[in-house]
Amino acid sequence: MGNKSDSAISRREFARRAAFVSAAASLAPSRLLSPVSVAAPLPAQQTANAPKLTPEGQAEVESRIQAMFAQYGNRLSDAQKTDIRRLAAEAQPPLDRLRAFATDNGDGPGLYLKPLMERERKPSPKPAKPIPVTTPKNS
Amino acid sequence: MPGEEIFYLSVSELAKRIESKKLSPVELAQAYLDRSQKLGPRFNAYALLTPEIALEQAKAAEKEIQRGHYRGPLHGIPYAAKDLLAVKGLPTTWGAKPYANQVFDYNATVIDHLKGVGAVMIGKASMIELAGGMGYRFASASLQDEAKNPWDTTCWTCGSSSGSGAIVAAGLAAFAIGTETWGSIICPSAFCGVSGLRPTYGRVSRYGAMALAPSMDKIGPMARSAEDCARIFAAIAGHDPKDRGTVPIDKGAFTYSPSMELHSRPLKVGWLTNAWKSLAPGVAKPIETANRVLKRYFSSVKDVALPIGPWEDAGSIIVAVECAASFRSLIRSGRVSELTDPLGQIAGYVNEQYSAADYLQALRVREIAQKKMDSLFETFDVIATAAQPVPATPLTLNLETDLAFPDPLGGIGNICGLPAMSVPCGFTEKNLPVGLQFVGRAGDDFAVIQAGRTFQLHTDWHKKHPKLH
Repeated sequence: MGNKSDSAISRREFARRAAFVSAAASLAPSRLLSPVSVAAPLPAQQTANAPKLTPEGQAEVESRIQAMFAQYGNRLSDAQKTDIRRLAAEAQPPLDRLRAFATDNGDGPGLYLKPLMERERKPSPKPAKPIPVTTPKNS
Repeated sequence: MPGEEIFYLSVSELAKRIESKKLSPVELAQAYLDRSQKLGPRFNAYALLTPEIALEQAKAAEKEIQRGHYRGPLHGIPYAAKDLLAVKGLPTTWGAKPYANQVFDYNATVIDHLKGVGAVMIGKASMIELAGGMGYRFASASLQDEAKNPWDTTCWTCGSSSGSGAIVAAGLAAFAIGTETWGSIICPSAFCGVSGLRPTYGRVSRYGAMALAPSMDKIGPMARSAEDCARIFAAIAGHDPKDRGTVPIDKGAFTYSPSMELHSRPLKVGWLTNAWKSLAPGVAKPIETANRVLKRYFSSVKDVALPIGPWEDAGSIIVAVECAASFRSLIRSGRVSELTDPLGQIAGYVNEQYSAADYLQALRVREIAQKKMDSLFETFDVIATAAQPVPATPLTLNLETDLAFPDPLGGIGNICGLPAMSVPCGFTEKNLPVGLQFVGRAGDDFAVIQAGRTFQLHTDWHKKHPKLH
C-alpha cells in the first residue's frame, strides 16, 4: 500500500502521540529562561536520534523546555527531564508541518466540532440587497 | 443453567430467547457473573463487578417480561461499561490511581439509557489510565494492569477500551460500552476479534463520561456483530441537553430494525490505497480476502486515496491541548506522578506548552479536512481498509518505540467525527484476529453498520471465539 505521509509521530493510538506533541510558548518570559532552571542534561548529550531541527525550531524547543523546567523542574527527576527534552524535540516537526499547511485568512476554525451533517452544505443565497454598513465591524 | 454456548450468542439471539421466555434474564446474568468472576481476573478485564446491580436489574427485567412488558432487544441483556462512565454510588476510577476512590452521585446518560431499555449492568470494564490521554508506553498503563487478549494472553487487547475488548471476546458479557478519542474502539475491536462501532461525533451523549478531548470524545458499542452494535447504538444515541456536543434532536436519534436493510441503498465502497504504509503479512492475506468479499457482494468497490494533509498532526495537537486542559488540576498539582506509566507522568507538562495559535491552526485544518472528506463521500458511501495494519501486539512491547506507524485514516476520521466500524475478517497464522474497517460520512452511521452487516451476512468470522478453559 502506498503511503502519503512519512510522519514520524504517528501510531494508531492517539494516546501515545499525545505525548509527542506540544507547541511553543514562542516568547517565553525571560525568567523562564534563567539558567538556574536548567537542571537536565544538554540536548546534545541525550538526543542522539532527535529530529533535525532548524535553528529557529531548536530555539523554540529550548524555550518550551525552559518553561517546563521553570514551572515544574523541582518535581522532575533527571531521567524525566531527559525524556521531556526528547519529547519536546520530537514535537517540533509535527508543529512545523501544521504551520506550513496553507490556510486562508477566511478559513474558520472548527471551534467546537460540529460534524458537517449539521450544516447547510450549499452556500446560502446572497441577500437581494446589499446590507448597508452603518457600524464598524468588530475585528 | 445455560450452557457454554450461551456466552457467545449475539444480543439478537439472546433477545429472541428472552422474549419468548425460553431464557431467564436472572439465570443469564448469574451465568455471566459466574463466568466473569472466574475468567475476568485472567484477562484483567474488569475494574469492578456489580453483582448486586446486575441481579436487581435482571430480576426486574424478568418480572416485567413475565408480565408481558417486553421493552425490546436489550431487555435482560448483560453488559459491561468502560470505567470512565459514571454510575451513581460506585467507584469510577478512569483507570487511574489518582481517581481510585472517585464516586459520582449520578449516572452517565449512556448508563441511564441502557437502564431505560432494561439492559443489565454486570460490571465496569478496565481501561488504560485516563483513556491514554496523558500518553503511555506500555499496556500495563492502567490501575487494573495490562488487559490480556483472550485469543492469546501474551498479547494485548489494545486500548484504551482494553477491558471492553477482553470482556466481549471472552464471552464475559453480551456487549460492552467503549469510548474513542482516537482509535480506542476500532483498535481493541480489531485486536480482540469483535465488532465495534465508533459513532459520529455528537450522536451519543458524553454526560457523565470522563472528558479527555471534548471535541473528539465519542462513546460506542463493542459487541458480537454489526447488527448487535446497531441495536445498542439505537438505545444510546440521541440529543442530550446535558452534553452540548450532541447533535440536535432530529439528527441524533437512531432507529434500527433488520427490515431497514430491505430498503437500504446498495453501497458504493472506496477501497483505501494509502491508509497504511504496509500491512503485516498475517494481516494482508485476510484483508485481500475481505476485499474479494466486498467486490462480490457490494454495489461497487473502487480504489480511492485519502486526501493529503497534516491531519494526524492536527489531531494530535487538538488531543494534547484539550487533554492538558481537561486534566489541568492533575498536572498542576503534581498528582500526575501517581499515574502508572512513565510517559503518562510527564506528557502533560509537554502538552501544556501549546500556543493558542497552533491550536487554532489545528482547528482550521480540521475544518478543511471535514470539507475534503465530505466531498469524498459524494462518490462513496463508505471507505474501507484494514482496521489495524498489525495483529495484537505482545504485552511487553514498548508502544512508544516499537509500534509507530502513520495512521492518516484514524487522524482524519477522528478529527472529522466520522462514524467507523471494525468487523472481524480473518485470522493470522498465529490465530490472532484481523479487523476490517468501514468509515462513513458524518451522520451516516447506518452506512457503516449496513456495510458491516452485509459483510457479516456473507462471512462467519464474527462467530468465531477463543477457546477458553
